[in-house]
Amino acid sequence: MKTHRISVMLCGGTGCIASGSLKLRDAMVEEINKRGLQDEVNVVLTGCNGFCAQGPVMTIYPEDIFYQKVKVDDIPLIVEEHFIKGRPVEKLFYKEPVKKKIIPLMRDIPFFSLQVLRALRNKGLIDAEKIDEYIARDGYQAAAKAITQMTPEQIVDEMKRSGLRGRGGAGFSTGLKWELCAKVEGAQKYILCNGDEGDPGAFMDRSIMEADPHVLLEGMLIGAKAIGANKGFIYVRAEYPLAVQRLRIAIAQAKEYGLLGDNILGTDFCLDIEVYLGAGAFVCGEETALMRSIEGERGMPTPRPPFPAQKGLWGKPSVLNNVETYANIPMIILKGADWFRTMGTEKSAGTKVFALSGAINNIGLIEVPMGIPLRQIIYDIGGGIPRGRKFKAVQLGGPSGGCMPESLLDTPVTYEDIVQTGAIVGSGGMVVMDNFNCMVNVAKFFLEFTADESCGKCTPCRIGTTVMLDLLTKITEGKGREGDIELLQNLSQDITESSLCGLGQTAPNPVLTTIRYFRDEYESHINEKWCKTGVCKDLCTFYIDKEKCIGCGACARACPKKAVSGEKKKPHEIDQNMCIQCRVCYETCKFDSVKIGPRSMREELGKKEEKEQTTDADHQTVETA
Amino acid sequence: MKEEKMISFTINDIPVEAKQGTTVLRAALDNGIYIPHFCYDKRLEVYGGCRLCLVDIKGGRKLVTSCTTTVQEGMEVYTETPKVVSARRTVLELLLVHHPLECPICDKAGECDLQDLAFKYGAAEGRFSGKKKKDPERLDAPLIQSNTNRCILCGKCVKVCFEHQGVGAIELIDRGFKTKVSAAFEETLSCEFCGQCVDICPVGARNSGNYRHVSRAWYLDDHDMPCPYCGCGCITTLGIREGKIVRAKGVQGRGQNDGNLCSRGRYGFDYISSPERLTSPLIRREILNNSSCSSNSATDIFEEVSWDEALEFISKRLSKITSEHGAEKVGAIGSQRCTVEDNFMLQKFIREHVQSSNVDSAAHLGYLKASKAFESVFGQRLKPVSWDAPLSADFMLVVESDITSLLPVWGLRFIESKRRGSRLVVADPKKTKLSRHSNSWLRIKPGSGTALINGMINVLLREELYNKQAAEDAAGFIELRTSIMDFTPEVVSGIIGIPAEELVNLARDYAASGNRIIAITSSASENTKSSSLFIAAANMARLMGDGPESIQVPAEHSNTMGMIAAGVQSGSHGKNIHEMLYNPDALKALYIMGEDPLVMLPDVIRIEDNLKKLDLLVVQDIFMTDTAKMADVVLPAAAWSEKEGHFISATGNIQKLDNICRAPGDAKPDWEVFSMLIKKMDKSADYLTFEAVSMEALLRTSAFMARLETCNREQEFVPADLRIVEEPDDQYPFILVASTILQHSGAFSMLSRNLDAIVSDPYIQINSIDAARLSIEPDTFVEVSSKRGSAVARAVVSDEVPEGVLFAPVHFSSSKINALTYPATDDGVPLVAARIAKI
Repeated sequence: MKTHRISVMLCGGTGCIASGSLKLRDAMVEEINKRGLQDEVNVVLTGCNGFCAQGPVMTIYPEDIFYQKVKVDDIPLIVEEHFIKGRPVEKLFYKEPVKKKIIPLMRDIPFFSLQVLRALRNKGLIDAEKIDEYIARDGYQAAAKAITQMTPEQIVDEMKRSGLRGRGGAGFSTGLKWELCAKVEGAQKYILCNGDEGDPGAFMDRSIMEADPHVLLEGMLIGAKAIGANKGFIYVRAEYPLAVQRLRIAIAQAKEYGLLGDNILGTDFCLDIEVYLGAGAFVCGEETALMRSIEGERGMPTPRPPFPAQKGLWGKPSVLNNVETYANIPMIILKGADWFRTMGTEKSAGTKVFALSGAINNIGLIEVPMGIPLRQIIYDIGGGIPRGRKFKAVQLGGPSGGCMPESLLDTPVTYEDIVQTGAIVGSGGMVVMDNFNCMVNVAKFFLEFTADESCGKCTPCRIGTTVMLDLLTKITEGKGREGDIELLQNLSQDITESSLCGLGQTAPNPVLTTIRYFRDEYESHINEKWCKTGVCKDLCTFYIDKEKCIGCGACARACPKKAVSGEKKKPHEIDQNMCIQCRVCYETCKFDSVKIGPRSMREELGKKEEKEQTTDADHQTVETA
Repeated sequence: MKEEKMISFTINDIPVEAKQGTTVLRAALDNGIYIPHFCYDKRLEVYGGCRLCLVDIKGGRKLVTSCTTTVQEGMEVYTETPKVVSARRTVLELLLVHHPLECPICDKAGECDLQDLAFKYGAAEGRFSGKKKKDPERLDAPLIQSNTNRCILCGKCVKVCFEHQGVGAIELIDRGFKTKVSAAFEETLSCEFCGQCVDICPVGARNSGNYRHVSRAWYLDDHDMPCPYCGCGCITTLGIREGKIVRAKGVQGRGQNDGNLCSRGRYGFDYISSPERLTSPLIRREILNNSSCSSNSATDIFEEVSWDEALEFISKRLSKITSEHGAEKVGAIGSQRCTVEDNFMLQKFIREHVQSSNVDSAAHLGYLKASKAFESVFGQRLKPVSWDAPLSADFMLVVESDITSLLPVWGLRFIESKRRGSRLVVADPKKTKLSRHSNSWLRIKPGSGTALINGMINVLLREELYNKQAAEDAAGFIELRTSIMDFTPEVVSGIIGIPAEELVNLARDYAASGNRIIAITSSASENTKSSSLFIAAANMARLMGDGPESIQVPAEHSNTMGMIAAGVQSGSHGKNIHEMLYNPDALKALYIMGEDPLVMLPDVIRIEDNLKKLDLLVVQDIFMTDTAKMADVVLPAAAWSEKEGHFISATGNIQKLDNICRAPGDAKPDWEVFSMLIKKMDKSADYLTFEAVSMEALLRTSAFMARLETCNREQEFVPADLRIVEEPDDQYPFILVASTILQHSGAFSMLSRNLDAIVSDPYIQINSIDAARLSIEPDTFVEVSSKRGSAVARAVVSDEVPEGVLFAPVHFSSSKINALTYPATDDGVPLVAARIAKI
């Protein structure tokens, strides 16, 4: 392999591609050629780096210099200054958001330094479309070991001892799942991969499929050997075209290398893997629905038992694991269960990938040891809450999960601890909310999602979620009635108890947790008709605290309806008849002088102005007449 | 068969036993314990969607659905605990959130599961108010209407259509709360219109158009009766309002059809109220006035007379003919659609009072042809088919038989058996429902079934796959072996148009299977089979040591079996139907009851010529058939449901018919007409009451049915050769295949407005390549003709038929396909060489 003086690892994840990394690559290659550096500088388009919010990002090796938010115009500068003159471009360095400290090296940035990369170990380091680069990073060694040296029982045993639990959401022991299927007699079995990542705000599976598709194939090879499958399907949503493309390339390359197909590595073990495109229904992430979808049926869950390990795809024994689960498997086989257990807790071994999003500085993908407290993730890795706002809640586990408040931030992130709070680890979506968020509205948002994504098969989910959504909508519109909270709780319990699949059984979780931790918000919505965050437009009145207002005029300039008036340096006033409750004034004011009152205030404040208004209106009527 | 382990457990502390693998819900229902449910039906795969059948199992973490939980030893199930009732009430309450409370105008009210359960659980508390659905009703399809607003999405209609009926015309579309049942892309429903989805709907979401706003359920008197159409003998539960049948439905537990019905059974009953019904005896005017009449309309040709006048006339004419020409010049044709008693009296009248032996029926060209062929090998007539034969078979071979059209509900058993894992092989040039559901469809050339089976026998012999003990000692084995020598797979491959290796594999699969059946239909309207097919099939079964039950040939019509048993079949002395209708001068007088040879039998032109030569033609029917129009005397008969009597189904069930409706005008039961006629002809004879007739008739039929169980003579192999009478040539390049279709089986169905709404006009199916070559556009009119005659019909371009083949239903009197066909003699396959041209 040719060696280069400098390697540019340009992020080619979906986020960075969206912010222009493909154009950057072209510009970079052109510039390098222009300067005659093609033999010295190597440009690699990698999979997702994880630090998506700062994209497009690139890392320059060997120094480990990290550039963020790079633009095409910056390319000549990087080549001239950094590659030729050896002076890294400071203006593209990462700036720590709180202390504004400049950090040039990737390994020093807390976002990266606190992570432990296992499932994501190849992220940003290899070209996802080159199998050689994967192999150079010990790729397919575990598969070779499993296929040529281990019996299915040994593989299952190693997996069971590792304590790896399904990373897709349910957290079922992977080893146990394999064991169940391995024990079922059957000439035809299937090994399946769930790449139908549907949780809003979760994108770790996409990232793995885009950045390191071979790790997935290797994990499936090991699983296939363990259960005795000779056919595999990777179910990927069609909205992930890059993942699909890279998986197809990876499968073709693995076949070419004799790592897939017949008689793999000279043994009698055979495995063929196909990519199957899903149409993006959330419920198709549920294992039985996913199988029906591959069969060409409508993607609807079917009752269990029979469990897929006995009767799965086309009625044959099948094992379905999530992408991230597979990504963990090669290292377990290669380094052993004990090594895997060096991270995490007794019941939650290893690391977990989380997708940080929402009101947090470092939006992106992280991998951390299980057991790490939430606070550390949010403040140290995530860099805290932007714009000086306060942390309010973190939603874990997507629409099936729950909202956890400040008081629970020291909860260690393990399956067993998180479930105590009413949330779930789920697939690892972590949406941070600040004090500008209304929790009733948040619950409503998730219910909108589940009601829309319900397949419609079972009554509690199909109608129950719709009824809950109706109730929540009424509450946010000021039509809530006493007893609605209890009604929501009772209905939630019934839906959880009687729904057919995981979607319905967990759909009420966001409502239940927000009621549990933010009940006062529900009560103020219902009883006082007051949304204290100003999100629910029908339940708030924006007014200016005249004591505090210094008359800077910022709010008046920001107001789209020109509802704020006042002389400079004198307290301003909001015309209630013109205000559309867009909250811009509230967000703009730096002096905390815009206040949010209950709905009823609007009428009171409005009345004062009404007299003038009425006379105006009378005039107008006369004129038009 | 493996002994199934019994599991003991309790439901509500009542000890219950059930087979291992049974679900809790099934076990409860079998033991008379009702657990509410919407989405469960014993015919369908478990769905688990409605969540109403929740039960509490002691020690369980949460409530479980009893439809998905299998019984376990010692399990303690509770079906009505407070927790269960609360969850169930919530489910009902949720359903009522959007279900419109328009019970006053809903056809289902009074027999609606949702209504009943809401009543039982008092779920009308209405804690929730929510969205309503406002989809427009779909009234655009014939007969089957849908109101998705009322739908509770139990999914049973979709599943019964797809899984059980094997159609898949409807699906769940959209998602979540917006999910609804619809044909794909919300197009107009286009299906078999069997109406199974209507019967299975627990609420008023799927309705029958013919019953829309007709009657409240509680005003209906339910009456169970065998269906008048095919040999299945399904029990239909008729809803009677003010002496009129207003609907028919299937009810589980009643009859061997166990709730299933086809479009004919569910919607075809209305033929009895057709305005075309005959109401008075008629005599041809020219006879009365001694003058000829130029007009063609029935009222002009005929004059209404009293029964006495009509019977007097017949009596006198018959006496004259017998005295002048001898009784052997009088013949009669019975009906496969009339009762045992009717047929018994017809033959009694002809045999005992006219003293002629010329009694036969169209079954001679259909079921009896097969039965006699079968007898030549097995030494006994065909037994009734077994309703469960397909289900207990591991291997089903269906040869050139559209079973789901001829006997639709029995045909479903083949699909069900295949779904349960049996192998279904269909050899048919036409794409049929069974071929679509088969494991293997051999698209053989029309009429080549005999060659196919001979080819299989050749492989069985050559590879020694047959049962030597059973075969080699039997008479005729050497002859069979010799006759089969030429039918090598290669030769047969050339005849049937299927690769030789497929034939070899089929024979091997057949031999390797445990319980084999060969199912073949035999109908006078079919023209692709000869006796040799049945002989060949019987040879093959015998070769394997399989019993007579392994050949399943169903009797075609509602009372084909009973008619034969009652004595309507030609004996050794009398003339058979072939001689009576196709030989000129065979008869001077013919009495036809409930049959329309001029539409339903082959070569109608020849029949018409011969009928014209008769001195007396009496037609006794329910409406003015084409044959009746030629008659001297037409007698109005009471129809099914207007008279008492019995039917014997293809499965041998003797089923009672009741008189539940008034016959129109002066129409009388057929048996009674003969009773009167006997009295008229023989003053000394007693008038026979129904009781007397029925007792005598049933004695005779029972004796006949018992004889079917016994072997009359030694079994022997009979060589079967394939002979096709007419091959296509340059002038007539197509092969015309004729038969009946699902919605129409002949006479009755044509009078049914309901069935007419589904298929109303004659058509001819032609392959798309042929159509393109001849520039025949779909739905344009074409003329199809053979050496004998021609007919005009609408062209249906469809690849259900292969290139070079035309398919046409025969029963439309407005387009007589039987003008082109001919009856087979000398055991040839009466394929028709035809040509087709645009008009």
